[in-house]
Amino acid sequence: MSVLVPIVPKVLAVRRLPRAAPALLLAYGADPARHVSLGIVTCDQDDPTYVALDEATKHAAVDVIFARSFYAGAAHSSGRNSGEIMGILAAENPDELEHGLRAMLRCLEHDACFYSADDAGSVTVFPHVVASLGRYLSVKSGLPEGEALAYLVAPPLEATVALDAALKAAEVRPVMIFPPPTETNFAAAWLTGSLNACQAAAEAYAETVVRVAMEPRERWNR
Amino acid sequence: MSATRERMAALKARLEASSPAPPPTPIEPVLAPPRRVFPTPKTRNRFAENAAAHTTALVGIGHVGTRYATDVILQFQAELAVAHQAVATELSESFAAQHALLPLQSRVTSHREFLLRPDLGRRLDEASLARLRSQAMKGIDVQPILADGLSATACMGSGVQLLQSFIRECEAFGLSVGTPVCARFARVWLEDEIGETVQAKVAAILLGERPGLGTGDGLSAYLVHAPKLGKTDGDRNMLSNIHTRGTRPEEAAKRLAVLARAMLEQGTSGVSLDLGKLAKELGDSGGRGYRAPQERVRLVEVPT
Repeated sequence: MSVLVPIVPKVLAVRRLPRAAPALLLAYGADPARHVSLGIVTCDQDDPTYVALDEATKHAAVDVIFARSFYAGAAHSSGRNSGEIMGILAAENPDELEHGLRAMLRCLEHDACFYSADDAGSVTVFPHVVASLGRYLSVKSGLPEGEALAYLVAPPLEATVALDAALKAAEVRPVMIFPPPTETNFAAAWLTGSLNACQAAAEAYAETVVRVAMEPRERWNR
Repeated sequence: MSATRERMAALKARLEASSPAPPPTPIEPVLAPPRRVFPTPKTRNRFAENAAAHTTALVGIGHVGTRYATDVILQFQAELAVAHQAVATELSESFAAQHALLPLQSRVTSHREFLLRPDLGRRLDEASLARLRSQAMKGIDVQPILADGLSATACMGSGVQLLQSFIRECEAFGLSVGTPVCARFARVWLEDEIGETVQAKVAAILLGERPGLGTGDGLSAYLVHAPKLGKTDGDRNMLSNIHTRGTRPEEAAKRLAVLARAMLEQGTSGVSLDLGKLAKELGDSGGRGYRAPQERVRLVEVPT
């Protein structure tokens, strides 16, 4: 059995705009007064990128002005550099942007990633625990910065069964539940609690996804 | 390594240790395999069929794709095994004594040497020569010799029966028959030295023949007039395929006696022996007309 093998996200493109046009900034939801330099990243895994963008906000004075997943995921992207998500970091100071991008790429390379949940790798799971929320995800989740967050993603049915297991496994409470389909046709949930509780919930989630992937058609006496 | 990756690695190890094998999925009832796994050829080759009716050789046996059918291959392997075993069989030393025959042996000392040295199989060893000189009848018409040849299986099978029938037939023709002997590790030409030693007019050696496919029990008989060392195959007359599916031993014994008498009458043997007058007595073995192929024994059962 070779499940729960990390599938390292591929960063497909990294581009910087040292001085973006104000109209562009406005269109992408930035504040031209504070946001001058942009760092644009595409990646073939969306949820690790959200976590990595959040990670960047913990290391540098950067804001995540834009982050959207693309429809139907990386397998149906609009081009070889598009992947599954585009995220934009913005900073007033190009040096800060540099630091933020470094932190983000480091996180994508070494930390946040999907894991295989079956031998073929056709079922994947993202049972990530953010030990301490940065500015981006804390705003998104409505939680204070520094809280622990279990960021759980899996395909729809696996996610549904596993979320039930995660909620029952530890003292966690749901922050956001994203029923399927999301843009990438997965389902997700954000749970919070103590760091230990979040970790226990994430583990229960991962294990349940693996078990469901093994036996998708439960047997019962008909 | 990140905290999440560490915890997932630990979970992976735990799951692998417990190895939660899924319950076996129920299997749909398996259909019975087709009774014949290779297709029977729809078109038949008339030439091959005609040829196959004339011979037991492997012709007109069809094919599956570029290969032989399974039953053909199995039959071939089984027949080859029969042949191998017949060659590997050794005539026991006590066989001659058990059947009240004078035991002789060629200069060969082992079965392996017998296969590798045909020249040694054509000469008698010293002890046998002395025994033959002292115990065998001399100056007779026919000297009958039973030998193992390349199939001791055949010799032990119907050899004695053929020998006794042959002696009986010869005596019925009024020929004087010498002391029946049994030679181990013998080649055909051993009859020259034996016949010469006992001063026989005709020497007849009946021995197991080199096995073909599936016939490990076939006997051959070689007759030579005025035997002496140096006679060649051109001086001999022979009858082969003496077994139940070919020429039966009783029938063969009759024909051999006819041959022996003809040799005595014409004073020669081999190519110079005129067989034209014997066509009636020799039966179809003298003719060149159609002969039905011998029956092939099925060694492998294949459901059809």
